[in-house]
Amino acid sequence: MKPSTKIRLLFGLLLLILVFPATAPALENDDCMGCHQDAETVGENFAIDMQTFDHTVHAEMGCQGCHELVSENHPDDGAPPSKAVCLDCHYEIDQQYRSSAHAENADCGDCHNPHRVRGLSKVSGYDMNQQCGSCHDTAEIVKIHGRWLPQADLHIAMLPCISCHTASEDYVIVLNITQRESDAVFGDFVLSDYQTLKKRAGDQQVQNLIDLNGDDFVSLTELRSFNRNPLNGSLLLKGTLTPKQITHNVETLDNRWDCSFCHASGPEAMQTSYLALPTEDGGYRRIEVERGAVLQALNGTPDFYMMGTTRSASMNILGLLIILGGCLMPIGHGLLRFLTRKNRNFKGV
Amino acid sequence: MAEKHLIYLQPKPVRIWHWLNALGILTLCLSGAQIRFPEYLSFLGSYKAAITLHNTAGYLVSASFVCWLIYYALVARSIAKIYLPKMDDLQHGLLRQAKYYFLTYFIGWENPHHPTPEDKFNPLQKSAYLAIMFVLVPLVCLTGILMSNVEPLQGLIVLLGGMKVLVGLHFLLACSLCAFLFTHVYLATLGHTPLAHFKPMWTGWEEVEEHNETVADH
Repeated sequence: MKPSTKIRLLFGLLLLILVFPATAPALENDDCMGCHQDAETVGENFAIDMQTFDHTVHAEMGCQGCHELVSENHPDDGAPPSKAVCLDCHYEIDQQYRSSAHAENADCGDCHNPHRVRGLSKVSGYDMNQQCGSCHDTAEIVKIHGRWLPQADLHIAMLPCISCHTASEDYVIVLNITQRESDAVFGDFVLSDYQTLKKRAGDQQVQNLIDLNGDDFVSLTELRSFNRNPLNGSLLLKGTLTPKQITHNVETLDNRWDCSFCHASGPEAMQTSYLALPTEDGGYRRIEVERGAVLQALNGTPDFYMMGTTRSASMNILGLLIILGGCLMPIGHGLLRFLTRKNRNFKGV
Repeated sequence: MAEKHLIYLQPKPVRIWHWLNALGILTLCLSGAQIRFPEYLSFLGSYKAAITLHNTAGYLVSASFVCWLIYYALVARSIAKIYLPKMDDLQHGLLRQAKYYFLTYFIGWENPHHPTPEDKFNPLQKSAYLAIMFVLVPLVCLTGILMSNVEPLQGLIVLLGGMKVLVGLHFLLACSLCAFLFTHVYLATLGHTPLAHFKPMWTGWEEVEEHNETVADH
């Protein structure tokens, strides 16, 4: 074939493609959501909760960010739209995850629904365990940990699994607002949702319940004021330790077997605290809490206590004074006893 | 001239309880110190070992406290007689005993209190043991039991003021018990010989001196 014929043929093909495109023109999110918001139309598996999706990081890319090719006659032609794989963007995470034992049992989608997934700071510490809980039975997990971990039930209830099963070396304390599950005096505490807190806040924003001046920063004074307000009696701030970074090589690191990894971190570590506020869209947003909340604010967070870590210096001094008080008798009396021993020489003591 | 004779002061159950308690409280003080200051103390091994030891000793001391209470209240039925100060103890006895410890002891006078099985504690001891055995020890045991069962007893803990209140109380009460230990051991050396009060807690029998009234009246 002559080169000029080749060029003519290629040109013709290009013209054909341009005139008769194989796929529909670029779609907007709204075009997709016209059908995909309605579970009755598209079925449960393909229905998307737009409000939830809108707050995921994936929403920024739009539906076509992952579903690039959608046929013109979708869905009548039965041809499924193209689907990106997580690996396309999350290559490093994928590599990390593939090296873990979990990779044999679960794919990305088994833990993270791409239409619902939120960043670490936008979920509560308790929600972080939902993924784990879908395969790992809580009672079984408590039992397994109980073989070596003191108060395993407490650890499992209070901590995200990833606090130990991730390689993060830095941690922050996240305070969640909880409330009594029922009116019972001994009722358990559950996470407060946005609607309940909004009702309580009335005309004000939910954040004003604690962040009184609404400056997106919770001072220790504001924290104390919240905790001491009798009107907040049924609310309780619960702290949980969450990792600063997430790694996907879900494994138990050697240093996590040592309790003092968390329980004796000294005065410098774990001083960064955040208040997790539930948002209208069902997620959370974090507000920074004045530094030192964990170790110094004894009255700030009455129910957050980590043995060995949250001890109070003033309490230590008071304890020391009490013990020294007990030594006064042996030392003071003993000295006088020694000096006056001759008065009791008939007994020799 | 003083005449010596032996009296059976400490029945066997009390002696067993006492030494079990002594071992338990000493273990609790040491393991408690390591649990609170893990950066500086590690003499009992790992943190977990210290916690396990602390919990075991805590439950042992709590159980021995219950046994002690049952023995004195229901078996020996002498709890009120031995531990409750009488009116005379409060009006004169406390002052008399304090005067002895802090003044007349140094000039060689005799202890105004002479123990008998029914009245083995002097007025100061009665008051101190009353506070320790009926307030301090039960409270430190209860706060400890609550702290070792945080998850199931969470509702109750919040009702009582939260973990920090419990922990603070437990710590300060424990420091008070530790302070008492020093005073307790020291005062035990103030018998007619330094070991005179230790022996009956081991053998049950105390050697006492019979005095004529002139000396005893001091």
